[in-house]
Amino acid sequence: MAANLTRLLEHNLRNSSAATVQRGVRLFNTQQQPEANDDEEFRVLNLRTVKQQARRREIKKDAVQPPRTARMAVDQDWTAVWSGPRSFHPASVPLPLRQGYTERGAAAPSKYANAELMKIPNFLHLTPPAIRQQCEAIKKFCTPWPKGLESEAKWKRHFPIEVLSTDYCHSLPTIRHPEARRVTITLRLSDLQFDAHAKDKFLRLVGDRYNQETGVLTFMTDRCPTRKQNYDYALYLLTACYHESFVTEPWENSKSEADMEVYLFERNQAKKSAEAILNWDSKSEEKIAASPSYAASVEQLINEGENEYNIAKYKEEVLKMLNIGVQ
Amino acid sequence: MKMFRKQFGNLSRISTHLQRNAIASSASSRTAEMSTNVAPALDAAALDEFRTAVANPGEHSELQAAKFYTIPVEQKKQIFTGGGLPKQYEQQIKTFTETCLMVRSPGLELLQYIKNADLTKPAVRYVLYGDNGVGKTLTMAHVLHYGALNDFVLVHVPWAPNWMKRPKEAANASGNEGFIDLPFDAAAWLVHFKNQNAQLLQKLQLKTSKEYVWSKRESTPAGASLIELIEHGIARIKYASETTAALISELKQLATNKQCKIMVAIDGYNAFFHPITRIFSDNKQRVSPDRITLTQPFLDITSYDWTNGVCILSVDKIAMTEGFMDSYMPRYLLGKEGFEHLDPFVPIHVENYTEKEFMSYINYYLDRHWISKTPPGFEKHLKFMSNMNPYTLMQLVRGL
Repeated sequence: MAANLTRLLEHNLRNSSAATVQRGVRLFNTQQQPEANDDEEFRVLNLRTVKQQARRREIKKDAVQPPRTARMAVDQDWTAVWSGPRSFHPASVPLPLRQGYTERGAAAPSKYANAELMKIPNFLHLTPPAIRQQCEAIKKFCTPWPKGLESEAKWKRHFPIEVLSTDYCHSLPTIRHPEARRVTITLRLSDLQFDAHAKDKFLRLVGDRYNQETGVLTFMTDRCPTRKQNYDYALYLLTACYHESFVTEPWENSKSEADMEVYLFERNQAKKSAEAILNWDSKSEEKIAASPSYAASVEQLINEGENEYNIAKYKEEVLKMLNIGVQ
Repeated sequence: MKMFRKQFGNLSRISTHLQRNAIASSASSRTAEMSTNVAPALDAAALDEFRTAVANPGEHSELQAAKFYTIPVEQKKQIFTGGGLPKQYEQQIKTFTETCLMVRSPGLELLQYIKNADLTKPAVRYVLYGDNGVGKTLTMAHVLHYGALNDFVLVHVPWAPNWMKRPKEAANASGNEGFIDLPFDAAAWLVHFKNQNAQLLQKLQLKTSKEYVWSKRESTPAGASLIELIEHGIARIKYASETTAALISELKQLATNKQCKIMVAIDGYNAFFHPITRIFSDNKQRVSPDRITLTQPFLDITSYDWTNGVCILSVDKIAMTEGFMDSYMPRYLLGKEGFEHLDPFVPIHVENYTEKEFMSYINYYLDRHWISKTPPGFEKHLKFMSNMNPYTLMQLVRGL
């Protein structure tokens, strides 16, 4: 103990002045220094029992191969590399593509690990050489284009009906698509031949399948399960409506003037009045009929509505008929 | 005449007015003549370029277009006492102390047609149409004057919508169930008819073809003169509507038998085809014009089944009510029924003034000292303000 104390004192004296000595003495007086082994380090108090930590196994990664594009020949056959539709793959496409949004001024993200490029559909399988190649391949199955159908105007005349259906290409467990069965056939109404009654009835039968502005008739069918059935059904509808429109039912004859959608001179009081005036006091059996131009002017006045032109025309015709115009 | 006055003592203002004029007409004709002589000199030499001395509408031609002619006072009194000129125009006539009408192209056209028409053929219907205030009524007045001078019996309804819009009195028709009589209006019309045609009827000596039995005691025998028939209608207001119907059917028959020629002039003719009137029936429902007893005779006389006549009808937006005034075109205003009734008719469009007519009118106003302030360019100003619409022009220059 005494030896220790003297060593400490000596050490202190060697390093500091007299004042320190005094303080050291005071320190000596008040504090009791714990006894410590001179040779060993201080042991750390460990309250928790420490588990033996298992050593992490190092995962061994294969070295990343350089991208395939680096090894591609310049004149390689691209259709062999990218034969069908698939999502973008950076190592297969030898193009320095960039896509995506970054902060201002920075370059867009490169093609590696770029979700933006994978999201969008690509047409790398439909390059012009690929199409050319495929066309060449199926050429042997084709027949020559019929003579006389070179232009649209020519073939429209022979094939007035246009059939529209859609194929869907997608990656699902099933290759069927519910919309693929839908068939739409369109044709111009002018390609069908009607009389006045049949046309009226046909338009009533087809309802809003006829577009007044374009004159195009459209049948869309999707009620049968397959496309073939729907196509047959659409043609059946067209045929049935067409033939039905030529049938005159007995009740159709009871159509009165109030049911008429257009004013017809023949059916109206105008004809009676005009003929009564023209045949006033005439003894002969033969009746003078109103002139067709007068009939047309009355019909025009009522069907097109009144305007200065129509009424002037009507006036002219009346003056002519009554023979009172200014000579 | 005395009985007539007694009956009319308690009549409405209009009817009294008519009656007073009717009595006064004969007495005043001489004084009227004198006053014309006192009025501004009308000798041809002193005529301004906007006036014409040709006072007979039958002689009017393109030469007189856009010029004013004067209707003599007694003729004006005969034709227009019971209406036929717009109210404001009447006031203007009074102010200017002369009845001047402008010879305008629709009138000339109409006169030309009437002269061309073959009277042995069914009556031709002319329909005057045009926007508000373009002069349909005055065109009709011009033609009426022609008719009066050329021995046409005038069947003139000054403003048909009056019957549907503001009748003096509506009563249930005694003869036919569900119909409405307008006795006072019918009587007023008979007075008007008599005013216009008394002299002519006297001259023509027209007789009824069959006996009309009004009640147990009253009847008009076959062979009675039309004047008697009219007098009876005026005296017995209760039967005025039936008398009107009888008179019109008689006239139609007489005209077809070539005993007279008739000019029918109905202003606001489309009122007869308006869906509703302002008359209420017993069960407080508005009646339609075809349930009014006055309608049928006037529809009859405007159909084509008679000869020796002309029908001048005007269709007017104002004759309609709210909701039916979108267009001034005849087919719209007449409706389907009206069009079928009149077809084939000759539509005649009355339009706003032409440049020449407008200047002529301005000159006339200046001549009458009606426009007193004439700063430079006032014609242009008026033309712009009125859009050359006759009525608007008249309103613009009217007194305060």
